[in-house]
Amino acid sequence: MDAREFDVIIIGGGITGAGTQRDCAMRGLRTLLIERSDIATGATGRNHGMLHSGARYAVSDPESAAECIRENRILRQIAAHCIEETDGLFVTLPEDDPHYQATFVDACRRAGIRAEVIDPAQARRLEPSVNPALTGAVRVPDGAVDPFRLCAANMLDAKIRGGQVRLHVDVTGFIREGDALVGVHTRNRLTGEKVDYFAPVIVNAAGIWGHGIAALAGVDIKMYPAKGALLIFAHRVNQMVINRCRMPSNADILAPGDTVCIVGTTSTRIPYKNLFNVAVTPEEVDLLITEGAKLAPSLASTRILRAFAGVRPLVSADDDPTGRSISRGIVCLDHEERDGLKGFITITGGKLMTYRLMAERATDLVCRKLGVDKPCTTATTPLPGSEERSYEAVAQRIWEAPSTAQKAAASRLGTDAARLRDDRAGTALVCECEEVSVSEIDNAIERLDVSTLTDLRRRTRVGMGTCQGGFCACRAAGMLARAHGDTDKARKDLRNFMTERWKGNFPIGWGDTLREAEYTQWVYKHVLGL
Amino acid sequence: MRFDTVIIGGGLAGLTAGISLQEAGRSTAIVSTGQNALHFFSGSFESLEEAPERIVGLFARAGIPLHYSPGVRLMPLGTFRPAALSLDDVSLLDQPKFARKVLIVNFQDYQDFFSSFLADGLRHQGIACRIVTPGHLADPSMRVRAGELRSVQIARTMDKFWEKAVQEIRILLKDEDAVILPQVFGLEDPTIPGRIRAGIPARVIFVGTLPPSVPGTRTQRLLKRRYEALGGTYLAGDKVLQARVEGGRVRNVTTRNLGGHILEADHFILATGGYFSKGLKSNPFRVYEPVFGLDVRQEADRSKWYDADFQAEQPYMAFGVETDAALHPLRDGQPLGNLYAVGSVLGATRPELGSGAGLALRSALAAVDQILSPLDL
Amino acid sequence: MKFQAYTVSKYNFDECMKCTVCSVYCPVLQVNPLYPGPKQAGPDGERLRLKDPYFFNYALKYCLNCKRCEVACPSGVDVAGLIQAARIKYGQDRPTLRDRLLASTDLMGTLARPVAHVVNGLTGLRVTRAAMEAALQIDHRRVFPKYSGRSFESWLRRQAHAQAAYKDQVAYFHGCYVNYNYPQLGKDLVKVLNALGVGVQLLDKEKCCGIAYITNGMSDIARKNARHNVSVLEEAVHGRGLKVLTTSSTCSLTLRDEYPALLGVDNTGVRASILIASRYIYERLEAGAQLRFKPGFRKRVAYHTPCHMEKLGWGVFSERLLRRIPGVEFTLLDSACCGIAGTYGFKSENYEASQAIGVPLFEQIRAVDPEVVACDCETCKWQIEMSTGYSVEHPISILAQAIED
Repeated sequence: MDAREFDVIIIGGGITGAGTQRDCAMRGLRTLLIERSDIATGATGRNHGMLHSGARYAVSDPESAAECIRENRILRQIAAHCIEETDGLFVTLPEDDPHYQATFVDACRRAGIRAEVIDPAQARRLEPSVNPALTGAVRVPDGAVDPFRLCAANMLDAKIRGGQVRLHVDVTGFIREGDALVGVHTRNRLTGEKVDYFAPVIVNAAGIWGHGIAALAGVDIKMYPAKGALLIFAHRVNQMVINRCRMPSNADILAPGDTVCIVGTTSTRIPYKNLFNVAVTPEEVDLLITEGAKLAPSLASTRILRAFAGVRPLVSADDDPTGRSISRGIVCLDHEERDGLKGFITITGGKLMTYRLMAERATDLVCRKLGVDKPCTTATTPLPGSEERSYEAVAQRIWEAPSTAQKAAASRLGTDAARLRDDRAGTALVCECEEVSVSEIDNAIERLDVSTLTDLRRRTRVGMGTCQGGFCACRAAGMLARAHGDTDKARKDLRNFMTERWKGNFPIGWGDTLREAEYTQWVYKHVLGL
Repeated sequence: MRFDTVIIGGGLAGLTAGISLQEAGRSTAIVSTGQNALHFFSGSFESLEEAPERIVGLFARAGIPLHYSPGVRLMPLGTFRPAALSLDDVSLLDQPKFARKVLIVNFQDYQDFFSSFLADGLRHQGIACRIVTPGHLADPSMRVRAGELRSVQIARTMDKFWEKAVQEIRILLKDEDAVILPQVFGLEDPTIPGRIRAGIPARVIFVGTLPPSVPGTRTQRLLKRRYEALGGTYLAGDKVLQARVEGGRVRNVTTRNLGGHILEADHFILATGGYFSKGLKSNPFRVYEPVFGLDVRQEADRSKWYDADFQAEQPYMAFGVETDAALHPLRDGQPLGNLYAVGSVLGATRPELGSGAGLALRSALAAVDQILSPLDL
Repeated sequence: MKFQAYTVSKYNFDECMKCTVCSVYCPVLQVNPLYPGPKQAGPDGERLRLKDPYFFNYALKYCLNCKRCEVACPSGVDVAGLIQAARIKYGQDRPTLRDRLLASTDLMGTLARPVAHVVNGLTGLRVTRAAMEAALQIDHRRVFPKYSGRSFESWLRRQAHAQAAYKDQVAYFHGCYVNYNYPQLGKDLVKVLNALGVGVQLLDKEKCCGIAYITNGMSDIARKNARHNVSVLEEAVHGRGLKVLTTSSTCSLTLRDEYPALLGVDNTGVRASILIASRYIYERLEAGAQLRFKPGFRKRVAYHTPCHMEKLGWGVFSERLLRRIPGVEFTLLDSACCGIAGTYGFKSENYEASQAIGVPLFEQIRAVDPEVVACDCETCKWQIEMSTGYSVEHPISILAQAIED
């Protein structure tokens, strides 16, 4: 068999693409995933990292809400090491419509979401950071999910099942045979290498970039990029997700995630051409702090680590300027039916929470086209690393007396933490803020397709802590230089990485963030000589 | 307590001023909020192109030998930077191609010394490199420590075992004419780097590591010891909470630890550093000087504080306390007549004063000269 | 308030820049490879512990709470406070019988005092020490402080009438050590203060400051003591209008700073009135008070700044007081930890580390070769005397010897 021939090619390394590749691989297909950048660089990785219960959509979009809670329950079973069961609160503040709560609870129950009305005093006990002025609260099964980890675990599982992954590779064109697509032209963005790959079915799972991919195939999909800005705080302020009990609006979710918490979002339509350069404006920062402090007042005086923005891929024909009233329902387009183009599928819409269901629908269609009759088993098969429910149990089983770094590794890798080397060299720390060891970096380089420091960050949390790469980036760059045997590239990569970190720092560059920046910039320039 | 001069800030600028004034027979106190940027010192006094005898003498009396030779130094990521006046640890090179073949020695599991970047940088200069990380250079106690391994931990071990390291390197050395070692030698004893050079039959170049800087930490300790030996009062871990200003002059300051026991002086020196050291503080609305509320040169619009390029000159770094020509800082446009601002609180660079360590030393000595000059009284 | 005009965090841990200067000055990290160091144990660990208390690391028990990390931190992070608070909040190890005994400095004193000669004889015996090592993991090489047959409290109580005659009055928090082990220091203080025209009063039944309970995982007892002590301090400060003097740097730090920071006991009403005696005396002398010194007094003194004195920032007062004594030849030792850290060094598992930590200080003392080492901490005294053979005295005792009787 030609190494460039597959049963299915999936374009897009976000969660939808990764999930689809896994599902296809589990049904015995030979898969190739192509991603223009790295995993989870689009909407997948640029959000709250929230395991939605669906409650947020219960009133506005009951169908999405019901999907959401079903997938929420499934992810708790299959992706234990990527999620954290925190529960969430929907709080009513004095300025909010007091009647909305009843509507909300009713809608949640109809969608199958457990929604427990609790009194404000109990809410304050459960979540001490919550605005003490709240007048009502509803407890729902929200949680936290690490989208990078989830994406990497799906891709890893596909690879374990024979799938192939090409990152930093652009699809530059399609290969046609009559009215069918049969392959893609690609170009590696790092090496410039051009390769053609062939498959009878090609899945467009490129998120917001899917618009352009479709255009490349000669079909037209209307997508509306809506920018959402978020702020990351330097430590966890809250243990439960805090939502506003009102119709979805600006900065009404504060979600805990790993060692930080994230408030967001804003929502602004942006022109498609601005997609590659979304910057957070001072106005957005101010709005996020002001509104965020209504959820948890201490945010007004908590150190902010970063500002970032994502772009929601909204598929719609209506012209609501905010992009919020659009259904987030799953859109699975068979272009043979829709446009008369064979061998091409677009899977889009939906959201992080429903990625598995999206993948299932896309894979069902792929299988139909290929004449494969195998049921979907992704809802019952744990992802690699998630064979055990709690990281405590994992750590305790692997190590007699786990150190903090080993506990942290177990929380990130789940049962895969058993692969880490325990020797002195392996346990040396690279990232001290997040306690990431040498062996964890080695593991990522070896198994998770790492080309750059930014790739490494998404898979390990290196550089995500309070020093924002100040100390760990050059250590990790040294390791990448050795692994790839290219020091020149590693030096450029280090420069890019620090610029990328700075991009998220300067919009909130005051106080301790500015101190950290001065220190880091001084060290890199005058001490290290970058 | 009453002093001739109270110095706020115990880093390079504050200690230089304190030692100079004590040497001139003045009584001084230094209020130091924690340790300082000397712990991140590269070992070279940037922007001091001339060889100032006065500085060399001051450091020599503190037991810190400096050497002067305009040239370049090798940076940890394999690049070269101009350097002239430096600690003895730093090798000042005539040119980047300083050797034919180099042996780079690192410690096993030590992440903060970048051998591959160094080797790559040297290869660009046409210098061949061999990297070795002998596993048995360290003492047994180092072997069990997992987690963070920083320069200072290795240096403490090397203070005891440096001679063993020298023997080891002599064995490893083949036809190389130079050896590169991380700056992890002589934390306590400043003569060790020199003795290592003497013990190895090749040119020995010490190259910096990730902070903390071993030569910088040692320099801080020796300067402080010198200052205290001269009778200076070093109030470590204390902080000025409040200052009393009357008639355009500072009368006294109140500190956190001494509380009601105020510090009075004829002169005050503000050597509190930049942002890192909290000599300058910032919030979304402004950059400010927290001790005296001095005027700070800055951009009003926050978006103009930064350049999106990490490596560009950052506008915020140029912000600093406004002074008159005599380094008297301004408050509401008026100079405070017995207060001097020195070091990074002035901003990262100042015309005539330079930047970094050069700025710290030049401005500190300028303040000292005025305090010692009878005209000032 | 304007949003983000300033930021705050518990023990300032968010202000950590990861610069690692704390680790440079941590005495434990230098000798104990099992200790993760102040940065990891403090601000780094705190972010993880906030996620899940499971990330608490038992190795935090190796922190000896010397607070040198806090003095060194360029960012103002209360590193040791963070570590001790984490031990209180998350630590699950139950204190052992040994820890309970060591921590109960007041109870031990009460029990031992009436039979002091027996206890002193016993703790001096090799066989007893071996038994203590075996049964309690108290290191057999450790020299135990002697107990005094008569408590300082009972001595001063008999003096109450005479003390009341002085024009100015202060209260004295003598602490367990002066009361049970070394009443002479209290007597020396009374002598000096009387010479300055100041009478000394007891508090209304002080209890142990509680530091040993805090570091041995018995913060509930410490909190009870703290509440009691704050109330008796309030009675002295507000009821009797007195300043409260201490001679122990650790007791001072505990009463002033650890009560609110670690135990949540509010002491704002009395905090500013708690002063170490050398500061009070120095200030009286500065204000013009006179002492009559013995004409022929000569002593070569080297002053060691105890860790908690360094943290209080008050070493300068003891130093200046000693320098004022005619006939004193003064050397200021480099500020460094002696390694004992209260009950820390008594534990078998810490003995080696404890001794190793003290080496640079011991070497400097030998090099200076003074007649006496001065320091304001009782446990430093035991450690330095045991480890160097040099005798150690409190600055107040040296002052008492130098003035006319």
